[in-house]
Amino acid sequence: MKITIDEIKKISSYAKLIFKEDELEKMTRDFEKILNNFDTNDSLNLEDINLDNFDRVNSEFRKDEIEVFKDKKKLFRNTKSMREKNIEVPKLIE
Amino acid sequence: MEIEKLTALEIREGIIRGDFSCEELVKKLYKRIKVVDKDINAYLTLCEERALEDARKVDEKVKNKKILGKLAGVPIAIKDNICTDEIKTTCASKMLEDFIPPYNASVIKKLKEEDAIIIGKTNMDEFSMGGSTENSAFKITKNPHDLERVPGGSSGGSAAAVASGIAVLSLGSDTGGSIRQPAAFCGVIGLKPTYGLVSRFGLVSFASSLDQIGPITKSVKDCALCLDVVAGYDPKDNTSSKSQETISYLEGIDAGVRGMKIVLPEELLSQDINVEIKNAIEESAKKFKELGAEVEYIPLSVFNRGLSSYYIISSAEASSNLGRYDGIRYGYRTKEFKDVYELMVKSRSEAFGEEVKRRIMFGTLVLSSSYYEDYYKKALKFRENLSREFKKVFEGYDLILSPVTLDFPSKIGEKKSNLLEMNFGDVYTSNVNLAGLPAISIPCGKSTNGLPIGIQIIGDHFSERKILRAAEAFLGGAKV
Repeated sequence: MKITIDEIKKISSYAKLIFKEDELEKMTRDFEKILNNFDTNDSLNLEDINLDNFDRVNSEFRKDEIEVFKDKKKLFRNTKSMREKNIEVPKLIE
Repeated sequence: MEIEKLTALEIREGIIRGDFSCEELVKKLYKRIKVVDKDINAYLTLCEERALEDARKVDEKVKNKKILGKLAGVPIAIKDNICTDEIKTTCASKMLEDFIPPYNASVIKKLKEEDAIIIGKTNMDEFSMGGSTENSAFKITKNPHDLERVPGGSSGGSAAAVASGIAVLSLGSDTGGSIRQPAAFCGVIGLKPTYGLVSRFGLVSFASSLDQIGPITKSVKDCALCLDVVAGYDPKDNTSSKSQETISYLEGIDAGVRGMKIVLPEELLSQDINVEIKNAIEESAKKFKELGAEVEYIPLSVFNRGLSSYYIISSAEASSNLGRYDGIRYGYRTKEFKDVYELMVKSRSEAFGEEVKRRIMFGTLVLSSSYYEDYYKKALKFRENLSREFKKVFEGYDLILSPVTLDFPSKIGEKKSNLLEMNFGDVYTSNVNLAGLPAISIPCGKSTNGLPIGIQIIGDHFSERKILRAAEAFLGGAKV
């Protein structure tokens, strides 16, 4: 599988990350190596595998139940700033 | 009292007998940490005041003859990706440098209910991505057996803390070998439980379908004791398994391996493995035979594959899980930005380390439309096939033996320039995570220059008791 540097540049915009040109080049080479390894080693004939058959060990599901976190001060401690009961975000007009 | 030599079981007994108080023990441990950790760098955060407060509570319980928990007075180190109420949890990342969780992970809650003492948070590869602990944004942990070498990773701080006697036991997390590989490199015991046995609630996610929390200890019995405490269904984790009855992993641990059928895949020893490690594994197989187990070598080609599937799946999940760090709600935020896009891009690019960014990129790539069918979906199919192959083996055998690592720990900085090569170190361990199986790493020898060698014992889903029995028989009850 041949990966181009332009593809990696496009991916970096999806991933919301910026890189220098030499970093992009290195990543292109590394990723190609991993995908080639997959093509030669891991890619067996897997036609009979149906991923919709879900019979794994853990197939129990629980209900989504709301639990109120009482200590609001503690809960919002990690936010940059608060205004009354709301998280304050930078003012951005696009 | 030589705290560095005591196991969790010995500590609990010592406190009950009145040989020492818990406060005395904890003070002594911190004294040792302050000396030893200058060289090792195992800890990112210490919580001495809180630990001493908890130790006094244990002493009060002893004084008032109240029932003590299973881990009463045992000082425990926690990997810094497991949320601890009011104690910083950084994942060794600049992104979460100041993050203080408002709650305890379920495993921490369980440890505290059994009177364990949380002494600090240990260093790791950033967001668990790496195998050397060199990817920490804050410090490089050193291997207690050779300070010029890495302790392995990503739970390198946890393994080094136990190995250097500055934690009695510790919790790590394992996504592709992150408990077993550092345990092997540091000469301690590390267990990766069956996926779903231990709650992941409060574990900061890397690859949610692979991550598992597990103990790193000095003895197999301590490992069983810790698993007794942390295992079990948790409604807060919807991948937590309900199917297991509450059982004690300590019960029957001395039953030995007589009659067990153990297999060693031929392919494992034909790979590019260090000859001293290969010899140690073959010697270990002979030892299991002497202990009464039936040991066979069989071809199991699936062991030669899997690493790139692991890399595809784990990176895909990481790229999604780490999308939450946007610089807006919590975590690192860049100082200057023009618009919301630049705010996110600069915050993420400045705060994430090289390896984390690389995995996010690879994960985003394989999830993109041009690669999804040919790579991500095929990797999922490969994973399913791998699970079936393992199931077939466990129809005829109890356990699989394998090396943990291809080689000995590298010198610090030696492999950092070649991250791809470093990731290939997961070759023996990542398949176990893909199949959701349990496996333990125990010491099985030393190299000519004194570096520990680990052997991996893999079992079928929820066969931890069998694995622990075999490990205990192999080590003959000894502590490491």
